[in-house]
Amino acid sequence: MIEFHLDARSGVAPYLQIVWQVRQALLLGLLAEGDQLPTVKEVVTKVVINPNTVSKAYRELEHQGLAAAKPGVGTFITQSLGQASLADHAPLQEELRAWMRKARAAGLTGPGIEAMFQSTFRENPEGEK
Amino acid sequence: MTAILQARSLGKTYGRRDALTECTLEIPPGHVVGLVGPNGAGKTTLLKIACGMLAPTTGHIEVLGNQPGADPAQLARVGYVAQDTPTYSNLTVADHLTLGAKLNPGWDALLAHARIDQLGLDPKQKAGKLSGGQRAQLALTVAVAKRPELLILDEPVASLDPLARRDFLRHLMESVAENSTSVILSSHLVSDLERVCDYLVVLVSSRVQLAGETEDLLAQHHRLVCARRDQADLPDGLEVILADHTDRQSTFIVRSQTQIPAGDWVADQLDLEDLVLTYMERAAAPTQSQPPRGASR
Amino acid sequence: MIWLTWRQFRVQTLSTAALLAAAATYFLITGVHLHHTYTADLVACTPLGSCDSTLNDFQHSYDMAFHLNELLVVAAPALMGMFWGAPLIGRELETGTDQLAWNQSVTRTRWLSFKLAGIGLCSIAVAGILSYLLTWWAGPLDHLNGNRFAAMTFASRDIVPIGYAAFTFALGTTAGLLLRRTIPAMAVTLAVFVGIQILMPTTIRPHLLASTTHTFAINQATTSQANGIYGNNGGAELFISGLNVPPGAWVISAPPVEDSSDHVVAMSEHLNCFPPPPNGTRPEPGTTKGPGNFAQIGTCLAPLHLHESVTYQPATHYWPLQWFETAIFLALAGALSASCFWWIRRR
Repeated sequence: MIEFHLDARSGVAPYLQIVWQVRQALLLGLLAEGDQLPTVKEVVTKVVINPNTVSKAYRELEHQGLAAAKPGVGTFITQSLGQASLADHAPLQEELRAWMRKARAAGLTGPGIEAMFQSTFRENPEGEK
Repeated sequence: MTAILQARSLGKTYGRRDALTECTLEIPPGHVVGLVGPNGAGKTTLLKIACGMLAPTTGHIEVLGNQPGADPAQLARVGYVAQDTPTYSNLTVADHLTLGAKLNPGWDALLAHARIDQLGLDPKQKAGKLSGGQRAQLALTVAVAKRPELLILDEPVASLDPLARRDFLRHLMESVAENSTSVILSSHLVSDLERVCDYLVVLVSSRVQLAGETEDLLAQHHRLVCARRDQADLPDGLEVILADHTDRQSTFIVRSQTQIPAGDWVADQLDLEDLVLTYMERAAAPTQSQPPRGASR
Repeated sequence: MIWLTWRQFRVQTLSTAALLAAAATYFLITGVHLHHTYTADLVACTPLGSCDSTLNDFQHSYDMAFHLNELLVVAAPALMGMFWGAPLIGRELETGTDQLAWNQSVTRTRWLSFKLAGIGLCSIAVAGILSYLLTWWAGPLDHLNGNRFAAMTFASRDIVPIGYAAFTFALGTTAGLLLRRTIPAMAVTLAVFVGIQILMPTTIRPHLLASTTHTFAINQATTSQANGIYGNNGGAELFISGLNVPPGAWVISAPPVEDSSDHVVAMSEHLNCFPPPPNGTRPEPGTTKGPGNFAQIGTCLAPLHLHESVTYQPATHYWPLQWFETAIFLALAGALSASCFWWIRRR
């Protein structure tokens, strides 16, 4: 079982934070196929959040095909995103490294790179192609 | 499903003072609604009208499809926790539960006692000797255990310390999770509501300034920072909520139903607090509109 | 609602019950003794034919208790109005608990009905019991006094206290509802109650029923029955008190003696009819004593054709007045209660 935590200052919608934390846990191997996610009530008790938000996050996970709800029991992980999946995207990561070199060459420093990444990322939120 | 609350041109005046003006709202069911506004904005008035404690001077209101407080059935469907969570100081905790049980046909005694246990309250304790946080929890228990479809809470956490605040909201959210109760709760602090509300109503100077689902509102509002310009020079489809100019820079808070087009500006999303403050600021200075043209160009 | 009414009112109910029991015990013990003494005194003095002084002593020995007990029964409705009525809604509004009470699945109308009926009936019962006890206790004394219309006596006997109890309770409740504070509501209740206790016997009660006016010609026959002849206003007026009105009647007005053309007669013009007392000064109020003396004055004044018109409520009006006054205050209590319902509904 995993626990969620919310960052109020991040500017990211709370339900997306939950979705990301599940994805992260999958990537890190903390969650695997068949594992149960905390119930809505458990999440609510832990992080004091609107239960609708948790339900929405779980629906989003279902929509992404990562989890499935068993009525009356809970929500379960249906797909693993083991370490392998990061390795699957090795070419992407290589591209990012190349881009990073270009950015530094262009004189961007850490905060600048992060700002550019964040703003680009927000222009294309999760779910949009 | 019927709306939690539907108000048309609702108004309340005390003598010559307007406490609520032309309030038109339609809040869909299943939400935790945050009613935000500065002190004296009319939040309490609106909530008291919604639970039937006050009659509106003008307009029309329906709560869960009925006139507020009209009959015992309607009273049973709406739970209300008033500001400062009043309890009978000379009655014990157990007395309050008996009161709830005697006066509410739908009373859930198991739930009530479980909650009191969970809170660690002594049933023999007089309510007058409880701490502010415990009293608030007791008032919430009485309101929740009557199993209402809608819970209305007026500044429930305003007088509580941060820990008691969190405990209170936790129990409130647990009740929402367990009983799928809709909730309207007011606060003058957005931070209290940020995590728990998925619907927002901003009330300033007796008028509703903004109402809608939190996520939609956050998605629609942006802060544009650009070289100084007139707001008329912004693209169409952007509703300027607030404009602020220095000699070189202009900052606009805009609302847009579509994506903000690319341009020579930086567009940022607002957090809930900024969003609310923007509308409060606008309501406080309603004459802000056009910046002085070419004054310092 | 019954539970809540009882639970919130428990302390008051129990303490009042205790006080009432104490009062009842006191009335019973002293009352039995009082009645016993009275009959014993009568038995002892009747054969001697000199009951006056015995009964006078008897009456005086109970003077203090008599007045205190009357005060208790008159004050009881005021206390209940202040301590039960004023906080009934006032305290709820003051502490905000109305918002708790009126958001249970019980309408405000129902809540108020139970509260008003439950506690209102309690206060009526308390007043009724006290009044019954006092009416029994003071029976012999009232008989000797022969003045059941005295302000405190009338207000503390038979059924009138019930009307007052209902009225002050409703008054306190209404004051609490309108003022939203307990203490000011109590003050208003007390002030209004005291005002009414002054107004009723002086200006309202005498006129509730048509009074009788009897004109007495001033002569030997009438003055010999008087118990006082005195001048007033520096001798510009002449009063004869104790003229022969029917027994037990309540004299409302006994204006100065007038002559045949209805002009007030100055005592100073007829000083020849008033014999000087032994020390040689002219008579002052209450100094001319004794029926023999009064008869002489009557004889002397008779040729002047003077008269005095006395207005009174006959003794037979006692019960009609009791009923009338009770009905008035019950009606006022009803009106105040109705206004409470009206206010509480439209808030």
